[in-house]
Amino acid sequence: MTTDTSVNRETKAIAGFLRSTPARVIKVAVLLAILLFVPPLIDNPYVTRIFISAMMLGVMAAIYDLMIGYAGLVNFGYAGFIAVGAYTSALGEFHYGISPWLGLFFGGVLSAFLGFLLGVITLRLRGLYVALMTFFVGEAIRFSISNTPEFTRGMLGLSVAPFPDVFGIDFGRSNLYAYYYLLLVLTAVIMGFMWWLVKSRYGLAFEALREDQLATQSLGLNTTKYKLYNFTIASFLAGVMGAFYAHYLGILSPSPEEFGVYRTVEILSITYIGGRGTLWGSLFSGFLLIGFQEYFRGIGPWRLVIFGALLVFVMLFARRGLAGLKKYLW
Amino acid sequence: MDYSLLLEPAILSEVLVLGLERGAMYALMASGLSLIFGIMGVKNFSHGELFMLGGYVMFYVTMVLDLPWPIGVAAAALVLLVVGMLIERTLIETLRRRAGRDWQLDAFVLTIGMLVIMQNLALIFFGTERRGVSDLIEGTFVLGPLLVSYERLMIVGVAAAAGLALWAFIRFTSLGKAIRAASQDPHAAQTLGIDIQRIYTVSFGIGAALAGLAGGLLISIYPAHPTVGFQPVIKSIACVILGGLGYVPGAIIAAMLLGIIEAYATFFMSGGWQNVMTPALVVLILIFRPSGLFSSSKVDRA
Repeated sequence: MTTDTSVNRETKAIAGFLRSTPARVIKVAVLLAILLFVPPLIDNPYVTRIFISAMMLGVMAAIYDLMIGYAGLVNFGYAGFIAVGAYTSALGEFHYGISPWLGLFFGGVLSAFLGFLLGVITLRLRGLYVALMTFFVGEAIRFSISNTPEFTRGMLGLSVAPFPDVFGIDFGRSNLYAYYYLLLVLTAVIMGFMWWLVKSRYGLAFEALREDQLATQSLGLNTTKYKLYNFTIASFLAGVMGAFYAHYLGILSPSPEEFGVYRTVEILSITYIGGRGTLWGSLFSGFLLIGFQEYFRGIGPWRLVIFGALLVFVMLFARRGLAGLKKYLW
Repeated sequence: MDYSLLLEPAILSEVLVLGLERGAMYALMASGLSLIFGIMGVKNFSHGELFMLGGYVMFYVTMVLDLPWPIGVAAAALVLLVVGMLIERTLIETLRRRAGRDWQLDAFVLTIGMLVIMQNLALIFFGTERRGVSDLIEGTFVLGPLLVSYERLMIVGVAAAAGLALWAFIRFTSLGKAIRAASQDPHAAQTLGIDIQRIYTVSFGIGAALAGLAGGLLISIYPAHPTVGFQPVIKSIACVILGGLGYVPGAIIAAMLLGIIEAYATFFMSGGWQNVMTPALVVLILIFRPSGLFSSSKVDRA
């Protein structure tokens, strides 16, 4: 009996310490240090590339979470919005010599414009209609890109210029760290902005309309307006990420794996497995799943089977996703 | 493009037959999808993978076991009936019990997970090879200027028979009556003693069986391979929307129309623009008539 209680007390003490403020500061510092220093310390282009893919998809998933987890909007043509950002910036540079640094912004603006238009049309309708509508719009975007090869080079693939050097930093493709730290800055800005947004009164409105749309309406909130804000902002951020993706990768083609259903499913899975309505969960799950996929490259399609099984498992039994583990670790 | 072909009756009717065949496939897929949607409110995104499984069953029964094709088609439908009922009983029912109010949207995401699993398991066990059956029935017959293969005729015929059987089942059996009741008002049906769970299982099974039937029936045109279901599922979702979500007769009419329109578009339009046409059509319908072309019911704008 006595040993039991003492063990109990000890675990409680450890758990208590793990949740205390100093422990949390240490945990945040460790995570930041990993992100900042691990790629240059390992100094292996392969590892840096995995870090970049993981963070890129993690942020895209977090933006997805802003829609699904905070406003209950399923954008099933999400990859199409990323394509709009990517192709806007890439084609702007290719045809009109617009700097990719401005392209980041323009890509976001055009994607936001599309999101706004689509939002005006669909957001009055029920959730499933939004999913259907965005799905077909995404497909139409993809086919339009592949059908205009004289402008977009279609399935032949469009080669995209790297970012031009700025502040004496070399953004040549071989300098992966420039891209990695640029992405880190983008991630910090986007995640920080979304964090602020969901903590603001807008965020409260988003959550209210996700929980109970009718009740929210009856409290006098214009639900369609808030959904439209959410959808437009998320589309903007997706466009920015798309533009970064284009200039980092250097080649674009409108294949289903890159800008079609498969990409949307990949991002959606990262969001759901990370845990809806947390933002940070998506980022963690991005690292976990992309890392997992790379690590298990040898087992081929089995890793996708496991990926799908994880999604099914999360939907059925662990509905809060990875974020459900937070109480043990944070 | 030589537009004088537009005046050529032989070509026009040839394309019409192609369109009818395509429409028959869309109709089989879309009626199952629409049935599931109408009764459960679930959009089954893994419907194309059920189509794929049907194709593989057909291939193994006819090519490996060397049995005649009608048995293959029947086996495809039966196996998928069981698979569909199993999926509903294990996965979707569990989700419905655990997810609460918004389970339909979550069920849609669940079917996405099922799609990823089934597609990659097929890749592992069957490989990327296309497994087809060249001709189920040989020969063509001549009708004036028109050449029609018996196989095309058989496909359209079997699809029509399946449609009729579905209609008769829903119209005349007591289970069919219960299904209709559940689709009109699930709560009222439940208070009248209808076992909703059973209705869901049966409906999902029938929907899957129709997809399996389509997969088996069209194996000579769509040889079974892991990603064969992609185009059929997108097109059948389009038909379900065009016909009015959950309204089975509407989906069937829309499927025949879409099949015929697409056949003409592929023949007379240049490039890949007929690929844009279907999504554009769907988007327009969703904007201007979200309840579909043939459904009189109003959309639930919650």
